[in-house]
Amino acid sequence: MPTSTHHVVLGNGIAGNHAADVIRKRDPNSRITIISAGALLFYNRYDLPNVFRGRHQWVDYLVHPPEYYESQNITLRRKTRVVELEPQAQTLSLAHRETLHYDKLLIATGGHAYIPARLLDDVGLMHSFHNFRVAMQVQSAVRKNGTVIMLGGDVMGLDLARTIIATGHRVIVALDNRTFWPHEIAQSERARYLQALESMGLDVRDHGKVDHIEAGNSKGPARQVFFEDGSEIRGDVVMPFFGLVPTVDFLATSGIDMERGILVNPQLQTARDNIWAAGDVCQIWSATSNAYRFYYGYRNVKMMGEVAAYNMTGEQSPFESTVDEALEVTSKGLLHSPFWEYDQRG
Amino acid sequence: MAKQTDIQISICGSAGDGTIAVGDIFKRAMARAGYRVIAFDHYPAEIRGFGKCISRTRISNNQVYSMKSYSDVLVSLNDLHAIPHVGEVRDYGAIIYDSAPMSAVAEGAHISGHLMPGHLPYALPIRELSELATGANRSRNIVALGFIAGLYQLPQQAFHQAIAAKFEAKAPAVADTALAAFDSGFKSGSSTYKFDDVQVGRPRARKNGGEVRMMTGNGAIAHGCLEAGIETFFGYPITPATGIMERLAVEMPRRGGRLVQTEDEIAAISATIGAGYAGARAATATSGPGLALMAEMLGLGVMAEVPAVVFVSQRGGPSTGMPTKTEQSDLNLAVWGGHGDAGRIVLAPTNVEGCRRCAARAFEMAEKFQVPVIVLIDLYLSNRYETVFLQGEDNFLPKNWQRVGSSAPGDNYRRYELTADGLSPRCVPGEAGGIHTATGLEHDEYGRPNDNPDVHSLMSEKRHEKLRDAMKYRGINFTKRFGDKGKIDVGLLAWGSTFGEALEAVLLAREEGIRCAAMKVVMISPLPSRPILRFCNDCQQVLVPELNYTGQFANLVSGELGRPVVRVNHATGAPMDINYLLTAIRNAAKKKLRSKTTTSNPTKA
Repeated sequence: MPTSTHHVVLGNGIAGNHAADVIRKRDPNSRITIISAGALLFYNRYDLPNVFRGRHQWVDYLVHPPEYYESQNITLRRKTRVVELEPQAQTLSLAHRETLHYDKLLIATGGHAYIPARLLDDVGLMHSFHNFRVAMQVQSAVRKNGTVIMLGGDVMGLDLARTIIATGHRVIVALDNRTFWPHEIAQSERARYLQALESMGLDVRDHGKVDHIEAGNSKGPARQVFFEDGSEIRGDVVMPFFGLVPTVDFLATSGIDMERGILVNPQLQTARDNIWAAGDVCQIWSATSNAYRFYYGYRNVKMMGEVAAYNMTGEQSPFESTVDEALEVTSKGLLHSPFWEYDQRG
Repeated sequence: MAKQTDIQISICGSAGDGTIAVGDIFKRAMARAGYRVIAFDHYPAEIRGFGKCISRTRISNNQVYSMKSYSDVLVSLNDLHAIPHVGEVRDYGAIIYDSAPMSAVAEGAHISGHLMPGHLPYALPIRELSELATGANRSRNIVALGFIAGLYQLPQQAFHQAIAAKFEAKAPAVADTALAAFDSGFKSGSSTYKFDDVQVGRPRARKNGGEVRMMTGNGAIAHGCLEAGIETFFGYPITPATGIMERLAVEMPRRGGRLVQTEDEIAAISATIGAGYAGARAATATSGPGLALMAEMLGLGVMAEVPAVVFVSQRGGPSTGMPTKTEQSDLNLAVWGGHGDAGRIVLAPTNVEGCRRCAARAFEMAEKFQVPVIVLIDLYLSNRYETVFLQGEDNFLPKNWQRVGSSAPGDNYRRYELTADGLSPRCVPGEAGGIHTATGLEHDEYGRPNDNPDVHSLMSEKRHEKLRDAMKYRGINFTKRFGDKGKIDVGLLAWGSTFGEALEAVLLAREEGIRCAAMKVVMISPLPSRPILRFCNDCQQVLVPELNYTGQFANLVSGELGRPVVRVNHATGAPMDINYLLTAIRNAAKKKLRSKTTTSNPTKA
């Protein structure tokens, strides 16, 4: 009896889910498994700032209802962590000591918040915003009209800042050389961009590097940030927004080529057979730049999922970037990025 | 607004995982905390080995009547056993499992690969937590229990007390280890973000005082026996009735009673009838196979008009059948079993409190009507735990049983005197002037053997007519209607353990706008025809759900009433499924009255 191809997708984000959707359309009889470290079905992480607008039910963020997975015959394995990939055997070792065989593998594990080494000791005093659970924790930690301290201020952070300010809170951005990440703003333009941040209502501070973070006392704000220049900022939460680093820990012994992310050709295939990568985890060869480079933004990520799915099912299509990476100051002096115009249902 | 609590938690593991033990702690802790609890354990027939065990507990701050069709939470202590039960968890319910199993698992053998998309997974390193807290992995079950308590913010103190009580007979280190394991799980659960929508509100304060007990049906029967002042018990162990004898074996000697484990069921019923003849409150307990052996001696009890109480807990049959699975397939045997026209009283309680009350009243009725009384339950009710509220107002002790009828011993004493109500004066051996013959042969009013056709006719009438008054006996609701009043679309006529599911299904159907009601029938023999007929006349359709293949109660009712009923049979060895019943109600509500008796299979509808 012929067996169907087992497509395994690592990652429960836009790239992975869009890829699974496309694979199902192109190969109705295949077996599709999505592996996720999280507990929830695929939900819209870009919408998470709405926890500040009172959307506190995770169900409201779901992109697909539970029935979708059954109707598409997609197996979603949540709270499942991959600890090792063996390309030769075409197997994944899962943390709960199960070995899973794949025929074709898509790595779309995304990225996680980059924390500068000097701040690693203070991780416990900072709040991230990468999933629903921590988003809810941030929301409940910020008092009414309270203050959020953003360290760095990448585009995800600045997007969140827009909502936090709109809901009556204060946002202090402590500038860093990764402010505006992944965009690199020319020094000549920087002042104009910073002015745009202030026009958006952000309190922009340039104190240099953070020295350390302390918990506040019970009467005042919960956090105090101390800078090397001796200054201090107080707020309810401290959030690091220094950009992303790819989640590739489990690939250490896999033999897959990596730089900061997984290196793939324009068809998103790795150097190993039957393994592709998509989304924030991969660096794609750019003949134009003559280098491997990252592409960010939901449109790019979604497109990568689609391209990978096509190529996993027999095509050889190259990835072509979209316009997500633009960051501009509008005629009204406000900052704008296509990155923020997300609608995964579209 | 207070949260409504109505959750069912299933814990599934292998024999040896402590599944039933931890379920027991959970239910007792919840009862201790003030919740209403119903619980039912599933365990394998084999005493040793690695069979599947499931402990299901439903807790509520309101009155509930049965287990739910779907669980809100499933805890897996053994994935291979738990995987087939994943589908029993409702959408947005939780599944808790070990993320750090002891050995490698084959592809597809871990439960994480079998969750439905609507489930919320909680991957907990159960084994590791157990080892960290206690130095061994034996306390995985208690760690999981602690996690549940922490995740749902259940009262930690109630669990501590239940654990201490559970292990009080063992060395203190055992309880200490269990407490350490529990606290480890509790800490983990408390710090885990709860994604599921399981809500646990505060228990509702009870209006009346009285003692709260967690009892099984078997335990309640034993309790009722003791409240009734049982003096002698003769029994031969058999699943699922053994628990009655085990409980009485502990309690009766303390109260001056005597319990004898006989060589078989025939000896047990013989001794019970002998003790009843001698004036003692006597009982035995068995299951279907044992009742079959007792049938002949039950006939003697009927013929000699000797009080005796027989507790029968049904299991899957025929023959050895499925000893650890439930079924309601011994009704025919209980009502009709034996030779000759051997009318007897058969009571079928519908819940644990009913077991207690029926057990106690059975002694009174056996004495009042001078006949063996069978209290018919099934494994589901035998082993089902419920919170029982003891009010202390009942008095089941013997009252005026010695003198019944018109003549007194010594005055031309006729033990089997024909009276208007069929009840004859009864005395016990040794009572002055009470000499008479008690025999299995047909007899005259003095008890002397007599096969005269007129005598046999009169005595047969006497033995049956006296039972008519049993339907008027106070102290038990032999029938009771629940749900909509007046004319309705669908009525459920249910008996025994199935009534709880029937009532829950009716309550759900009413929420859907279906006019329906349920009637419980506790007295199976003689059948209280009038109230049942009144109920049936109010119903467009009458469904009779029962856990057997042929519809034994449906046959009894339609034969007695001459009225068609719809059978809803469920013969799987498991309790009745509420959704199965609800589907049957919906189907029946769509149809008009059928003209003849039919069989309903909702799954094919």
